[in-house]
Amino acid sequence: MSATEPTEEPTPTRAGGFRIGKDNWRIVYAFLAAILLFVTGEFVHPGFASLASVESILTIASFVGLAAAGQTFVILIGGIDLSSPWVLNGAAILMATSSLGQDARTPYALALTLGMGALAGATNGVGIAFFGAPAVVMTLAMNGIMEGLTLGASGGMTCASCASYAPPIVQAAVHGTFLGAPLALYLWLAVIVIVSFTLSFTRFGRNVYAIGNNSLASYLAGVNVRATTVILYMLSGIFSALAGIVLVGFGGQASLGMGNPYLFQSIAAVVIGGVYILGGRGHYLGTVAGAVSLVTLVSVLMSVNMPEYGRSIIYGVAILALLLLYGREQKEV
Amino acid sequence: MSADRSQPRASRSAHWIGRNIGLLLVFAILASSVALYCAIYFAEQKTLPGNFELTSTVNNTMPLAMSALGQAIVILTRGIDLSVGGIMDFTNALAAVHMKADPVSMIVWTVLVLGAGALGGLLNGLLVGYGRLQPILVTLATLSIFQGVALRVLPEPGGAIPPGYTAALVNTDQPYALLYVLGAALLWTALRRTRIGVALYAIGNDEQSARAHGVDVVRTKVIAYTLSGMLAAAGGLCLAANATAGDATSGSGFTLTSIVAVVLGGVSLFGGRGNMIGALAGAFVTTMIVNILFFAHIDPLYQSFYEGLFLIVAVVLGAALGGLLKRGRA
Repeated sequence: MSATEPTEEPTPTRAGGFRIGKDNWRIVYAFLAAILLFVTGEFVHPGFASLASVESILTIASFVGLAAAGQTFVILIGGIDLSSPWVLNGAAILMATSSLGQDARTPYALALTLGMGALAGATNGVGIAFFGAPAVVMTLAMNGIMEGLTLGASGGMTCASCASYAPPIVQAAVHGTFLGAPLALYLWLAVIVIVSFTLSFTRFGRNVYAIGNNSLASYLAGVNVRATTVILYMLSGIFSALAGIVLVGFGGQASLGMGNPYLFQSIAAVVIGGVYILGGRGHYLGTVAGAVSLVTLVSVLMSVNMPEYGRSIIYGVAILALLLLYGREQKEV
Repeated sequence: MSADRSQPRASRSAHWIGRNIGLLLVFAILASSVALYCAIYFAEQKTLPGNFELTSTVNNTMPLAMSALGQAIVILTRGIDLSVGGIMDFTNALAAVHMKADPVSMIVWTVLVLGAGALGGLLNGLLVGYGRLQPILVTLATLSIFQGVALRVLPEPGGAIPPGYTAALVNTDQPYALLYVLGAALLWTALRRTRIGVALYAIGNDEQSARAHGVDVVRTKVIAYTLSGMLAAAGGLCLAANATAGDATSGSGFTLTSIVAVVLGGVSLFGGRGNMIGALAGAFVTTMIVNILFFAHIDPLYQSFYEGLFLIVAVVLGAALGGLLKRGRA
């Protein structure tokens, strides 16, 4: 258990690689937790760990994972993105209404929706990097702005096109299978590879860790802190929008409030996966493990017919327990 | 702010303005929003808003004012309390389920509910202080726990708050609730001169220096979160009194609006700067924005759009003004 005590100094130069350092053990723990939860689930509810069940749990985890990808980016520089619920929700609605459920309009709708996410995210980044607004305030305000715009523009989901379904091609892209696995998982796999590679093996990725550890030192070392910050928040917006698109493809139709659970879940996934909330340490793989174990926990609780209040309480207690296990700060003096 | 370093060269009043720029700004915003509200109201109704409008504004602001005060105390220590909404959820539910119409029950349950809120805050404080966990994560987790407890206490909106209690807390005839706001402001003014008050500012400014100077950092944090929990419970009571019933989800939104009120009130999210009276004023500004939007016939669906926009403008404006003043004095 001594490995769980984060007593080491932050080491920014852990270049690339997945050498099992103390931080990376957390990723292992999060994956172990997920496996343990699957085993527990199989015990209390036989069939829980069947292939079909695992596939559906992983598919749902992929939605959290996509939303959490953006959150990972901004948390790595010590920021946070509270605007994801309504960027996600707005994106889902924009996807359905701009495509009108037609395959032919899908490329246009995809570009529009991802562009909207990028714009919202970039605005966050500019406010934070250039106007010195605290990330919490800026993204909170952006969440309100997106909520107002979404509600207002859709007339509270009463507009004529609001009943539109996601284009069949988008629905197929989420529901379809390839070599026996849901296509949504391939998308997630691609995102995992791209995000992990970007963070660990590119100059941009190393800059992210540098800023997260010490933004002033990074600036003095020639890192364009402002531009990197704007790009990261923009990526966060794009990933929220992507999660919205996938969700509307999964559910068929968009609804109001569909993004709300994803704020708590994405931050929790990031934290469970061992990404340090003040930035500079952690991997997207950890977030992935966090998303899987979180969604598995909820599934186990639902399989034993746990009422909502119980799930909510256990959810919070589980996160606190994990935090106490490996999220503690060093003792000072 | 480099106010301390530039003090010898600046006049006393310039120094005071520099220190309290956030407070001045929020009262300026409050005054102009009241003026704008009166102007729009007059254009609409051909008369100035009267006692009824004042009373309903004050009563509507009470839950936010209380929770924002608690939030501000935590933010002063460089923390954040996301569980405020959860505590308001379960405290308003608790009051609506248990409170009876006789005065003894009202007093006993007021004390019990405030105690329950304080207990919730204490849990946060212990986890942040002794557990050495990040406040944003602790309170995110306890938010989930408190929301669960609220649903357990009151699964469906319902229960009842005796009319006498509503009259005592948020009187619908006269803006008596202002007395509570005044009381809270006075209490804070007294508190900030005490050891605890100084310690709150000290650990928000520089935790290590504060520790080196003998401030009990852990105890101060525990007190801050406990106060926040208790004030959130007071907000929950006001919420229940306004609605004359309970709802286990009606408090959740206050997590975010309390942060908005604190930020508008000029309390720095980076800790150690700001006056809690600003947070109270920030709460009133937030309500005034809603009032103005209503009388300006803005589609209520766009309400959060304007609130978000206003928040950004206020923060950017505050930062710019602060920067200008600093440059002017240096």
